[in-house]
Amino acid sequence: LSHLPFCFFSGSSPPICRPCEVRTPASGRGSRVELAAVMDEAGSSASAGSAPRGGRPARSGVFYKFTQQDLPAWKPAMTPGYVIAIFLIIGIIFVPVGLICLQASNRVAEIVHRYDIDCVPDAYRSNKQAYIKDSSISKKCIQKVKVQYHMKAPIYVYYELDNFYQNHRRYIKSRSDKQLRHGLQYTDSSCSPIERSNGLPVVPCGLIAWSLFNDTYDFTRGSMGLMVDRKNISWRSDREHKYGKDVYPFNFQNGSLIGGGKLDPDIPLSNQEDLIVWMRAAALPQFRKLYGVIEEDIQADETITMHITNNYNTYSFGGKKSLVLTTSTWLGGKNDFLGYAYLITGSSSIFLCILFALIHVKIPR
Amino acid sequence: MFWNLTDSTRKRQSVVCRFPNGKLVLYCKGADNVIYERLADGNYDIKKTSREHLEQFGSAGLRTLCLAYRDLSMDQYKSWNEKFVQAKSSLRDRDKKLDEVAELIEKDLILIGCTAIEDKLQEGVPACIETLSAAGIKIWVLTGDKMETAINIAYACSLVNNDTKQFIISSETDTIREAEDRGDPVEIARVIKESVKQSLRSYLEEARRSLSNTPERKLAFIIDGRCLMYALDPALRVNLLGLSLICHSVVCCRVSPLQKAQVTSLVRKGARKITLSIGDGANDVSMIQAAHVGIGISGQEGMQAVMASDFAIAQFRYLTDLLLVHGRWSYLRLCKVITYFFYKNLTFTLTQFWFTFQTGFSGQRFYDDWFQSLYNVIFTALPVIMVGLFDKDVSASLSKKYPQLYQEGIRNTFFKWKVIAVWGFFAFYQSIVFYYFTAAASQHGHGSSGKILGQWDVSTMAFTCVVVTVNLRLLMSCNSITRWHYFSVAGSIAAWFLFIFIYSAIMTSFDRQENVYFVIYVLMSTFFFYLTLILVPVIALFGDFLYLSLQRWLFPYDYQVVQEMHKDDPHEYSMIRLPERSHLSPEEARSYAISMLPRENSKHTGFAFDSPGYESFFASQQGVCVPHKPWDVARRASMKQQRQQPQRTGRS
Repeated sequence: LSHLPFCFFSGSSPPICRPCEVRTPASGRGSRVELAAVMDEAGSSASAGSAPRGGRPARSGVFYKFTQQDLPAWKPAMTPGYVIAIFLIIGIIFVPVGLICLQASNRVAEIVHRYDIDCVPDAYRSNKQAYIKDSSISKKCIQKVKVQYHMKAPIYVYYELDNFYQNHRRYIKSRSDKQLRHGLQYTDSSCSPIERSNGLPVVPCGLIAWSLFNDTYDFTRGSMGLMVDRKNISWRSDREHKYGKDVYPFNFQNGSLIGGGKLDPDIPLSNQEDLIVWMRAAALPQFRKLYGVIEEDIQADETITMHITNNYNTYSFGGKKSLVLTTSTWLGGKNDFLGYAYLITGSSSIFLCILFALIHVKIPR
Repeated sequence: MFWNLTDSTRKRQSVVCRFPNGKLVLYCKGADNVIYERLADGNYDIKKTSREHLEQFGSAGLRTLCLAYRDLSMDQYKSWNEKFVQAKSSLRDRDKKLDEVAELIEKDLILIGCTAIEDKLQEGVPACIETLSAAGIKIWVLTGDKMETAINIAYACSLVNNDTKQFIISSETDTIREAEDRGDPVEIARVIKESVKQSLRSYLEEARRSLSNTPERKLAFIIDGRCLMYALDPALRVNLLGLSLICHSVVCCRVSPLQKAQVTSLVRKGARKITLSIGDGANDVSMIQAAHVGIGISGQEGMQAVMASDFAIAQFRYLTDLLLVHGRWSYLRLCKVITYFFYKNLTFTLTQFWFTFQTGFSGQRFYDDWFQSLYNVIFTALPVIMVGLFDKDVSASLSKKYPQLYQEGIRNTFFKWKVIAVWGFFAFYQSIVFYYFTAAASQHGHGSSGKILGQWDVSTMAFTCVVVTVNLRLLMSCNSITRWHYFSVAGSIAAWFLFIFIYSAIMTSFDRQENVYFVIYVLMSTFFFYLTLILVPVIALFGDFLYLSLQRWLFPYDYQVVQEMHKDDPHEYSMIRLPERSHLSPEEARSYAISMLPRENSKHTGFAFDSPGYESFFASQQGVCVPHKPWDVARRASMKQQRQQPQRTGRS
């Protein structure tokens, strides 16, 4: 109806009104009903839906307003005044928040130490895969790292992997949550290709469990050891509801292909925190996972010795392994991104606000 | 004793009466051309005088009828009656046979005289047509009346005025009359066709010249039904269409219903423009169906036009409302809904697309299945329905006040490729923001417990941002926001949170291996969640906001200009606020009083005179009077009877 450049109307019987009817004034009620119908017809919005025939139509009320599209409305118009004001508000809110976030992030002391190259003995530098697959070679490795800033307890120990696609489609669905909760009779075909081994079901099945990370870390400070608390590193909801208290590992890593670490068959799954942490698939190919928590302070300029067992094979696919020691604030670990994002948005908003205000003043509409 | 039905093709009606003394007379009335064809020879004076009177009546805008009679003998009647009964009871081609039989008796008539009826246009028609012309709609009049009456109607509607250059192609010129007197049908046809061809060609050149030299001068094209028959020939059709499209208004008179449909199809197919037909009688049905949009006026002539139409309205003047208010709003709403739909799905899907680069191209979905399925059903569905129902750029009265706003629809300003490309660009930009900002912000441990977020946590965070942003973007693109908009937007976002709270809290045996258990509760216990939830939508909408404000500032649409001009007007409601009687001018009071009178149900009445300025018999009965006009007084004084009987006019 809105594309019409042509309108034909017939003039042979030009539009004429319906004529009046002769009615005696005595027919009071009847004509009132007609009246109501007539008045409704004469309404300017030609939708004849809402009035009940045979009664006086309601001309007010929420339903009437709804069907006649007549609701009170706010009609926002983004005039220059409003635009400038909104940019100003955004700027005023975002810049301080950004500064707070940056400050929180700057208070975090983080040490990232890549060790997968350094931990390979010189003899095997050219053939790391042979080194890692040979179980007769000792995988113990000692690395020293100097702490630059004072680190307040609790200090979180993470292992960081790079180029490891835990978010790959075949990988991420290769698990059976039912089996993890209820036991081996619920072994699922979703776990393939690690569903059964030697004819027996594998608990926990699936590629994610099979590729369990098994490097271990110990820390000493001078001659004293640093206690690493390995409990409560997984989500509590996982421990209590996703992993069964009476489900034990069975027939795990028994096949010809070893994908990762082994599990103690006497510890129920709900207590296997390393497994639980590993099974929460990461979103990106570079990720870190919690290993433990150190509950002591570490002073600046101290040297920490890390005793690493370099078990995990990342050499076959060009992955990287790093060890991370970090403190945490209310915002979490070191992440400048939020702070910078807020700052940049806030400042560009203020810049635009000033710019528009100048234009508005110099060149009025 | 018998009477033939009247119809628009026959354009006449006859009745055979028997007087008490046994005499049989055939009385016939009809349009002047069909009666004149059937008159007996002789009586040239009466014929000439009547013809002059007819032209006078026509120029005064009255509608004319001729009356004639013929004496019949009993034998003539009997022999004819046999054929008539046979024709009436035939099973095939009954109408045609009846026509032929009627032709046998309706000849050699003797002219009695002619009548003229004043038939005013419906209230508000001239204003309506002016408004529609200002909106850029070209208006053609197709009528079965004579040329003088039709030109009068056009003057009354302001389609033609004294400055307009008129191109008239008529079949009542002298050359054609001479050919008719000679009586050879082949010759007549040839002469008419020749003259039509010449006229079309010369008028077309003249029109083009006028358009280039004096573009402000309006052009009108008037053509007769008979000439139209020849002008619709494939050979002459191109010229006809060319001339009609150049002229600002076109009037076709004496057209039959078939020709009405033919003219409509000519424009529809030949000019490839959108056409609308409006009519109120059974003879308009074919025209209504031939156009793109057919509108029937429910009225005195019955409901055939209404039943054949796409839209039915009660009075002609509601056409302005239909087109300028509701049609325009419909267009605006449709465009908004469609472009918004594509935008929100594009944003949602592209966010997943960026994820595939970091999954090793394995095709892993970023979102949980349920999120994806319910996105379009629950989380973003209702607000766009509200916009499609309620969005108004300007109010109804402003739409009618500025008919030029209609041009936006004609030029298709809101659905061009440029508009869609802009939406697409912002969908692209927003998807990048959603994915990369969420992923980058969730990289390291969160909260003081140091726990790391996994795949499903990040995706839930991103999805929350998507739902919030997409709903807020809708609010940004609304022109009028009612409380239902607030409810639906808040409701959709609340529905999302409700869903994710429930979904994360239950584990059923039907779960697939996605690990969304407890995700949202852990997320909402971190500061990261709230900071990201504020940051990401603001950044995503930043670009849109900038674009919209610059567009309104520097390149405003017409409706935006109108909005700002009238932004301080109080909200007015579209229903008729019936003011108190004392506030109305006498004209308005009379109009209101007439509209309050009860209407008649039966079909056969002759009264059509209740437009303002003319005294209506029934209105005066109810006590609503009009000041007398001098010619009216004279007219009534000259009537022989003292009672004003309603006249039965058999409409033809």
